[in-house]
Amino acid sequence: MKRKILDFPLQHARLVFIGLAVLTIGFGSAIPGIQVDTDPENMLSENDPDRIFHNETKEEFSLHDLIVVGVVNEAEPEGVFNPESLARIHELNERLKSIDGVIARDVLGPSTMDNIEQAGPGTIRFEWLMEEPPETPEEAIAIKEAALRLPMLRGTVVSEDGESVALYVPIESKDQSHRISAEIRTIVDSFDASADEFYITGLPVAEDTFGVEMFKQMAISAPLAALVILLLMWWFFRSFALVLSPMIVAMTTVTITMGALIGSGFTVHIMSSMIPIFLMPIAVVDSVHLLSEFVDIYPKHPNRKAAIKEVVGDLFAPMLYTSLTSAAGFLSLMLTPIPPVRVFGAFVALGIGLAFVLTILFVPAYIVALPEKRLATLLSKKRDASDGGLLGRVVAATGAKSLRFAKPILVATAVAIAISGYGISKININDNPVRWFKPSHDIRVADTVLNRELAGTYTAFLVMKQDSDSEPEIVASGDEAVEGASDAVRAQWSSLKADAETESQQEASNVSDALIEAVSDLAFDTTGEESEQWQRVQTALEEAQTASKTFQNPEHLAYIERLQREAEALPLVGKTSSIADVVKTVYRELISGEEQDYRIPDSTEGVAQTLLQFQSSHRPNDLWHLVSPDYRESAVWMQLKSGDNQDMMSVKADLDVFLAANPPPEGLRAEWAGLTYLNTVWQDEMVGGMLESLMGAFVIVFLMMMILFRSPVYGVLAMIPLTITIMFTYGLIGLAGKDYDMPVAVLSSLTLGLSVDFAIHFLERARSIRRETGDWTETMALMFQEPGRAIARNAIVIAIGFLPLLAAPLVPYNTVGFLMAAIMAVSSIVTVMLLPSIMMQIQNWLSPKEETARASVEDPSAPLATNKEQTT
Amino acid sequence: MRTLTKTWLAAVAVATLLSTPTMAAEAADLKDASEIVSRTNIAQYYAAKDGSALVRMKIVDGKGRSQRRQFAVLRRDKKDGGDQNYLVVFEQPADVRNTAFLVKKHANKDDDRWLYLPGLDLVKRIAASDERTSFVGTHFFYEDISGRQPDEDKHELLETTDTEYVVKSTPKSSKGVEFAHYTLRINKKTFLPSKIEYVNAQGKAYRLIETVKVDTVEGVPTITRLKVSDLESGGYTLSDVSHVRYDLGIPDDIFVETSLRNPPQKWLR
Repeated sequence: MKRKILDFPLQHARLVFIGLAVLTIGFGSAIPGIQVDTDPENMLSENDPDRIFHNETKEEFSLHDLIVVGVVNEAEPEGVFNPESLARIHELNERLKSIDGVIARDVLGPSTMDNIEQAGPGTIRFEWLMEEPPETPEEAIAIKEAALRLPMLRGTVVSEDGESVALYVPIESKDQSHRISAEIRTIVDSFDASADEFYITGLPVAEDTFGVEMFKQMAISAPLAALVILLLMWWFFRSFALVLSPMIVAMTTVTITMGALIGSGFTVHIMSSMIPIFLMPIAVVDSVHLLSEFVDIYPKHPNRKAAIKEVVGDLFAPMLYTSLTSAAGFLSLMLTPIPPVRVFGAFVALGIGLAFVLTILFVPAYIVALPEKRLATLLSKKRDASDGGLLGRVVAATGAKSLRFAKPILVATAVAIAISGYGISKININDNPVRWFKPSHDIRVADTVLNRELAGTYTAFLVMKQDSDSEPEIVASGDEAVEGASDAVRAQWSSLKADAETESQQEASNVSDALIEAVSDLAFDTTGEESEQWQRVQTALEEAQTASKTFQNPEHLAYIERLQREAEALPLVGKTSSIADVVKTVYRELISGEEQDYRIPDSTEGVAQTLLQFQSSHRPNDLWHLVSPDYRESAVWMQLKSGDNQDMMSVKADLDVFLAANPPPEGLRAEWAGLTYLNTVWQDEMVGGMLESLMGAFVIVFLMMMILFRSPVYGVLAMIPLTITIMFTYGLIGLAGKDYDMPVAVLSSLTLGLSVDFAIHFLERARSIRRETGDWTETMALMFQEPGRAIARNAIVIAIGFLPLLAAPLVPYNTVGFLMAAIMAVSSIVTVMLLPSIMMQIQNWLSPKEETARASVEDPSAPLATNKEQTT
Repeated sequence: MRTLTKTWLAAVAVATLLSTPTMAAEAADLKDASEIVSRTNIAQYYAAKDGSALVRMKIVDGKGRSQRRQFAVLRRDKKDGGDQNYLVVFEQPADVRNTAFLVKKHANKDDDRWLYLPGLDLVKRIAASDERTSFVGTHFFYEDISGRQPDEDKHELLETTDTEYVVKSTPKSSKGVEFAHYTLRINKKTFLPSKIEYVNAQGKAYRLIETVKVDTVEGVPTITRLKVSDLESGGYTLSDVSHVRYDLGIPDDIFVETSLRNPPQKWLR
């Protein structure tokens, strides 16, 4: 079977080329149909309860994602509160409204907000805060002072210090934020030069901009990495023609995999955009092993086909194992509850399988098809380099030293593990999409400045909700009121109820409203006893309806007030806003305008009438961002100064304690919503999910190793480098204080897949050489020749190949670049230095076991047993 | 853009001139837009000398959620097209019952407005501001209820159809208004508007007031159902007027601050 596979490309090279070209073009043609999805919300499945609630909340309270535009002026003594700056702000405020995708009626800014104030004794006034830009400095300051008196604006639209202004731009859809923010930037750039600084930020902008830049990086970083890898391989193998084959394998693997992903209708999410970057090293690794061995063996075997056959025969088993284990590592991601991660895992695994097949089929066919001339140059050049040149000498020396210093190496490893363990305990699980940009990025700068100036650009909502439906209760109160009434009245009441039901189904209206209307008409149109009966019913219905309005009840408002005070005492919460603030502000202006009247009225009617006044402003609908029209659901807005998941979690934890100690009034339930909160939900699932999948993969790989090597001892040995690599890299992350975020979490599967590779190659080769030599010392010496060089070449190619990622402006790409280098360095060093030391210490265990294992294997085609026959 | 508009206006002017001979056939048609609007103002806001009515408003938001307001209203005119007084007393929802507004509308200066909130036992004057604030949370503006002074806009007769005049009104000052212009379709016989469309600075129609039903009450054509729609949010308010009575002889002396706390029951409903 294996022989057939090995012979196929040698005999049908042309067929392999055509087949690969057809596949690549076929799948590649799906790529232009790419659907980009950069919404982190999609990290949660469509039916995740938190996501559903978040979207219900947005719908219920007409909430939209917000772009924050801050204006800061450090040069003027009054900040932006001077006629020139305010004129610019006014123009911006007006022009924002006509940007496509902006919800004009909900734009928050000084020109589009109302001022409620006293206008002389006994008089109240509603007017635009800044209908026209002020003409004098005094007018500018008056605007500032008016805004600072309004709790809804203070800290939000106008900074606490009264020097900066922020506009909040609601948008129809998050995936428009990058374009809209660019249009805002264009408006701002058209202003004359001044000391006004304009900053644009907000979670939707960060998320969408990240997506845009991510795709730029896909077009820059991945090809750049490929180029560096190509150059490095050229340097190692001295034959451009030869090293082109791993590149072709890598490129076609990436093209076919991405084509398959896009073609099967999946969106390309932040995760899947990293597939090319992950697949490239994996695809290259196998071919590098092949080439490395080929250039070492070829000079001894002038027959090209025989040489290739020997090489592929030697490497078939280890390459199959490494592909299977790496694929298992990524397939384990299918265990996570996060849809984009599952898609990512499945397609990387698919790509790994593909890369293996292509390496086995394409590379041999390619080498066979190369003109003799090209290989001749390789032959002559390679002859001097058959000891591997500098790299070879280093590897050999390292090997010799590591054997001599086996004990110290083991001790050093133990120390490194201990330190790594400490590092892991220090790991900080945290994420924040804004931090996916480097600190110098515009969005990060804006984020820093605006969160210093204002109450916070991150919003979360604590929604208080009355669980039951009020309508049946109101109708029931009517039923009760007609109990003692005449038959005629009761019969009419029943038909009124039926009519009201029908009406409420046919058009937008409440049963209770329709009933009250009908009953009040009857009370008016009838006389005497009958009229009185209807009046009683009307009163009962009205009382029940008034009582149903939970958030007009002063006690409930007082609870919200307490909750807000508790939240605002937390350092991370810059400000909170609720219906209670609206009520208190309007009440203050209705009564005296003085601070002592900044309070909740004593009666439900007082609250209702205060709110009726608020609704007589220019923006009555602002109320419905805070409370539902039936007053049974209310949202407390929390403005956070940080969007770090950790910070959001700590705010939630603190308020959960408060809610537990001070339960909300009966029937009320508190729940969280908002983008800042939602990010913590998927992070939580991700971290838990990743750990689970890593554990799962670890166990699976361990089992695979024991089965493939047919030896528990070899199985354990194979797990050592990857265990140490994972511990070391994550220990490093912990010690360096780098947050364990989404990219880091995903890298764990790559670590597992890549670092087991070297161990497999090493152990497999060591075992076959040992079988040949019968002596471990001699085996090790041979291991540090060509097998050691192959590992070293691979490690260097991948580690350096991904260094260009460090130059990307996106932090996750830097992280991947750095970790990739670390994984390669650690796993190759551990494999080459630690494994021999351990193996030398336990050689007595290794050999007898192997004898038994070999004896028990009857099948001569069993991979591990067959290798040697071919090499000899 | 501006030149374009001018060209367009010129074209309309030419078209109007050309069509003059046919229009002459209908001798009754008015040609002066200002006169049409001024008669509309009187037909809509100054019917009879005084009147009372019960108004029910249903507010429906873009999501189909509804709220109601119900109030009685008394009106007495001093002079057609001139000063008039209003008293508005709320009946529903129950938690705002007896909330009352007193408005002394002036043709040549800002209106005097008072407010009574029984839940706070408070009478308050409302200072003049622009009149395009919401009327108690409905999609109507205060100005839609009390009437916009015709001389605040420049009127232009765009078209005269068999049944309607089409007038474009452009504010003389953009201060205090959110529209760039609005177009009125006015019934030639009753002079009641059938449709008013508001267009914003971006040239987009964003608000619509439609007369759904007109009844003749005591010989006076009266709008009994009016709908205002917010075309951007999809919300609307439906206003139903019932129990309309005219020329009751409502005395002027009930339109005083003391009536806010003690509404003249005799005249209400």
